Amino acid sequence: MNKLFKKKEDGLTDSQVGFLLILPGLTVFIAIILYPFIDAILTSFTDRSLIYPTMHWVGLKNYVKVLSDPYFAKTVLTTMLFVIGSTVLPYVLGMIWAIVLNEKFRGSEFLRGVTLVDWIIPGTAIGFLWSWIFNGQYGILNNFLLKLGVIQAGIPWLGQNGTALLCVIIARTWQMLPWYMAFLLGGLQSVPLDQVEAAHIDGAGNWRTFWRVVLPNMKQTAILVFVLGIIGNLQHFDLPWTMTQGGPARATTTLSIEVFTTAFKNWDMGKAATVGTIWAVLLAFFSFIYLKQIRDAK
Amino acid sequence: MFLKTKGFKTFFWISLILIGFFVFFPLLWMINTALKPSAETFSSYFFIGPLTFSNIWHILTDATIMNYLKNSLIVSFGSSFAATVVCTFAGYSFSKFRYRGRKFFMGMFMMSQAFPQAILLLAIYSLMNRLGLLGSYWALLISYVVFTLPVGTWTLKSYFDQIPDSLIESAKVDGAGHWRIMTRIMFPMAVPGVISIAIYGFVWSWNDLLYSMTLITDTAKRTLASGLVMTYLGEASTNWGYMMAASLVAAIPVSIIFVFLQRYFIQGLTSGAVKG
Repeated sequence: MNKLFKKKEDGLTDSQVGFLLILPGLTVFIAIILYPFIDAILTSFTDRSLIYPTMHWVGLKNYVKVLSDPYFAKTVLTTMLFVIGSTVLPYVLGMIWAIVLNEKFRGSEFLRGVTLVDWIIPGTAIGFLWSWIFNGQYGILNNFLLKLGVIQAGIPWLGQNGTALLCVIIARTWQMLPWYMAFLLGGLQSVPLDQVEAAHIDGAGNWRTFWRVVLPNMKQTAILVFVLGIIGNLQHFDLPWTMTQGGPARATTTLSIEVFTTAFKNWDMGKAATVGTIWAVLLAFFSFIYLKQIRDAK
Repeated sequence: MFLKTKGFKTFFWISLILIGFFVFFPLLWMINTALKPSAETFSSYFFIGPLTFSNIWHILTDATIMNYLKNSLIVSFGSSFAATVVCTFAGYSFSKFRYRGRKFFMGMFMMSQAFPQAILLLAIYSLMNRLGLLGSYWALLISYVVFTLPVGTWTLKSYFDQIPDSLIESAKVDGAGHWRIMTRIMFPMAVPGVISIAIYGFVWSWNDLLYSMTLITDTAKRTLASGLVMTYLGEASTNWGYMMAASLVAAIPVSIIFVFLQRYFIQGLTSGAVKG
């Protein structure tokens, strides 16, 4: 117990001051997170729409509607593919990039800083940029492949079913690689070097040292970053929206795109809230792991 | 850390070149396209060829886009400031005070990261609608504070944790009250943390697309991210030169802030999430 502020000199006790200080945060939390969340769950049992003023309780009708919708399973699958691709790819590349930049060579500090620019710039700009790179007629990727003679005609990367999601994943990888790099580099630098040296003296090669000494020593960071990455990707909206608006033929419609279009394009709040609630359950699972990691870290 | 074997050197150079290309080429390509004259947009030359500032000038003299830029600045500065104040208070409270419900509130704040934004948006939209705030800066300003709340509170809490309690005790002996201790001793010592949170809040608000697209119904109040999407998405013929120039204009403020205050930012980012 902290008894620093037990005297009542300000007219307020220690705990009263403490509570006053979190009051602004608490208010925002209740207004912008807790209340909307409960409201959304309740809405999922109604036929609320932004177009009609009236609203009725409809029980589980929305859930039946959503779960029997053949598109819903596809949306969940797309989300899964997007989340796995956009977490694993930048994670692995970010790890390699962190290992490279951890070698103290001239310019490594500079490269580290400039790398993070990719991550700091607005998702809208990143979406525009990659739409341009993947452009079916004049994009630099097609241009390059045509010159190499790999393809005979430009490929509409974002316009066809088979490649659109992959393109969005690549753009997301580009955006997030620096973020993983920053965390994993911090992890690498926290690994005690004497243990690494001891492993080398014992005759362990780099590969073995990495898996047996380096990774276990930064396990906490490595897991946490992965879970945080999954949570972020489950939420992600910007790139699939700016690059393809969920298309073509719903190929890049993830849950966040689905909730957004259902609510603000089709104005069906009830259905949107239902999709959102199902999605929140998914997220809760990963958030639980995240919180557990945080607790273990203490 | 790793033995400089032949294998490692190969791995190092291949990774440096390939990932380096992947990381840096697209950004350079954006700049390159933005700097090409309109007639050359579709040419594939890489900086070696005619370059001009005419696209960027076009964006900078476009009254609508400059208005978006102004809105972004207002909202981002506003919410960054609000978030910093809220997080500093909360972090200080969690670190140095003990009261009933503290642990519970801490857990709640931490969890706010995990609520899906798109679903919160449904109710925030109705709430702002009822309050008559839909389409005003306030709708965004308040909503954005939430983005910063978990990371911000945690980062600042860990800063305050490092300040010894004995400092507070001796200030109390000298007769300083709560307010004085807070503003004269505690907050100045947490300045690096405060700066990192201010930047974090600014960048989040600046980059957000989903909320500004939904909560701002008035075109004149749109922020840059959503404004640009509205301007360029769904156009019949896309002017890529303008689009890249506009992207560059949107990217520059956050990049500049970042380059100067990078140290604080990375420190805050990693300590906030990894430390308990």
